Amino acid sequence: MPGVMGAFHEIDAAVHAIEDLKKNKTGDITVYTPTPRHEFEHAMNHPPSKVRIFTLLFGLAGVTFGYWIPVWISDYWPIVVGGKAIATWVPFTILGFEVMVLIGGLATVFAMFGLSHIPRLTLTVGYDARFSGGHYGIFVDTEPDEVSMVEGILKKHGAEEVRRER
Amino acid sequence: MATMAPPSPSPDTPAHRPNVPSAAVRFPAIRDYEQVDRDIGRTLSPSLGWFAALSIAILCMLLGATTWTYQIHEGLGAAGYQPPVMWGVYIITFVFWVGIGHAGTLISAILYLFRAGFRTSIYRVSEAMTVFAVMTAGLFPILHLGRPWKFFYLIPYPNWRLIWPNPKSPLVWDVFAILTYLTISSTFLYIGLIPDIAVLRDREKNPVRKSILAMLSLGWRNSDREWRHFTRAYLFLAAFATPLVLSVHSVVSFDFAMALSPGWHATIFPPYFVAGAIFSGIGMVFTIAIPLRKAFKLEHYITLNDLDAASKLCLFTSMVVGLAYLTEFQVAWMSGNKFEQDYFWNRVFGQWAWAAWIMLLCNMVLPLTLFSQKLRRNPTWLFILSLFINLGMWFERFVIVVPSLSHEFEPWQWGTYRPTWVDYGILLGSFGWFFMWFLLFIRQLPVMAMSEIKELIPPRLKHPDREMDHELTAGTVYPDDTGVIH
Repeated sequence: MPGVMGAFHEIDAAVHAIEDLKKNKTGDITVYTPTPRHEFEHAMNHPPSKVRIFTLLFGLAGVTFGYWIPVWISDYWPIVVGGKAIATWVPFTILGFEVMVLIGGLATVFAMFGLSHIPRLTLTVGYDARFSGGHYGIFVDTEPDEVSMVEGILKKHGAEEVRRER
Repeated sequence: MATMAPPSPSPDTPAHRPNVPSAAVRFPAIRDYEQVDRDIGRTLSPSLGWFAALSIAILCMLLGATTWTYQIHEGLGAAGYQPPVMWGVYIITFVFWVGIGHAGTLISAILYLFRAGFRTSIYRVSEAMTVFAVMTAGLFPILHLGRPWKFFYLIPYPNWRLIWPNPKSPLVWDVFAILTYLTISSTFLYIGLIPDIAVLRDREKNPVRKSILAMLSLGWRNSDREWRHFTRAYLFLAAFATPLVLSVHSVVSFDFAMALSPGWHATIFPPYFVAGAIFSGIGMVFTIAIPLRKAFKLEHYITLNDLDAASKLCLFTSMVVGLAYLTEFQVAWMSGNKFEQDYFWNRVFGQWAWAAWIMLLCNMVLPLTLFSQKLRRNPTWLFILSLFINLGMWFERFVIVVPSLSHEFEPWQWGTYRPTWVDYGILLGSFGWFFMWFLLFIRQLPVMAMSEIKELIPPRLKHPDREMDHELTAGTVYPDDTGVIH
């Protein structure tokens, strides 16, 4: 993936560079930040994460499965215990809840992995070890004829280093 | 993640705004992100003290393992069980470790949902404590078996006639609850660690260690896409973990409350157990975090304000636990039930009075010292108190288990219980096992969440005079001139 990477030490410089790049429609932008910041969320203006949909759907599947297990077990060999009904929903709520949390929680994590495209075997182009420390990075996946313009924008806003990646 | 700090004009003049959490409030001595990496990274270097502590832990664990081998050879009778008390130190210690395990995730998850500022300093320790405590607790049902190699009988699966275990039994709920809890807690710990492992990966020089860290970090790059999904997933996991903790320790309490024995058959048990778990967990967090703070010079990160806030939570849960103790007596007194009344009289004035009074002193009386702000901000006192809390909470479980079994309805069910050296050896071994894992953890992975601490440090600005289009999140803390948080 060819493109241009800029490393910034100041957050406002990085945010203004993103705004300028978006104004000039220069291509896909990836921001690297050592910690999540609202400033970047606002500048990038991405839609909300879809993780919540997986959480809801698998949580509902989990609670259904969690109730089904004891109901099926009880019904498979029906023995009356303590004069109670064969399938009693009150004690089975415990299993329903636990399985909901288990499946919903694990689905949330796997959805996060899938949507974030991890696990990743190699660090992709445009990443620099400084971006987990104290620097912010902007990688622009751009056409060859726009590379100079992107470099100019990044430098104008005070990038400490600008380099071409391929 | 944590409530983030607004950008600051420069690291030397942090923003002082009322009701806005800033580095000046949370971490006044931390200048920039690089310092966080350096300071927390320093905790990974082995020291003589670390080797000494690890050696002691391994020695204790080996002692426990040797004792267990002896018990397997001699049979469970070596452990001091005799009718009518067939649950003793192993079940007491199982509930003790489960309780400590529950508090860790609760401290992490519930304080995250409530955006409690002091969480950032202590939550990694709490989460690691949770996982290792549940691992320790998980040993005890197996240690309690005469034939431990048949441990898989504990898993609820059908027998050869395809009859399944009764799903209305609390012991079946326990298996589901504790396995779910262990899975979600381990996941919660690991997910929170991923960005920090990426930091270690990027700084590691040793190629073997670097490739291991690269695998563990899953190729994390700190991109906006990753953070966007990460923060949502972390929030939902916290939202799942909070009620999970409440449910799991309630289920553990049902192991007792569903039985008809005097002293056990009470509806107060679930909230009583949950409050006790949080209380004992905070005690163990103090036991671990205060020496760590001193040994690794982390006073700038685990501040006196953090200890003060955690102490208030400790005091509150102590009072809830104390109220539960008194309510039990009141209910027995007002019930008109001779067996209940006899049992509770026997608990405080009978053969188990010594244990009950240790429990009451450590869990109800000594924590009242935390009404003093001076003592809440005194790490030495908090550490000493935490040892008493650990002792008191172990004895709370002793008082729940042994007196009930030794004083049931009829005189032939009355008896006594004397733990043997085998019980004590395995109890000591469990502490060795727990601390061995914990010490190995702090040597390999950061004891504090670097990425979350960075959120609380105002980021560097190029144009401090220009208005940033950022969202200021209202906080609740602001220091006065003396640095005291109100």
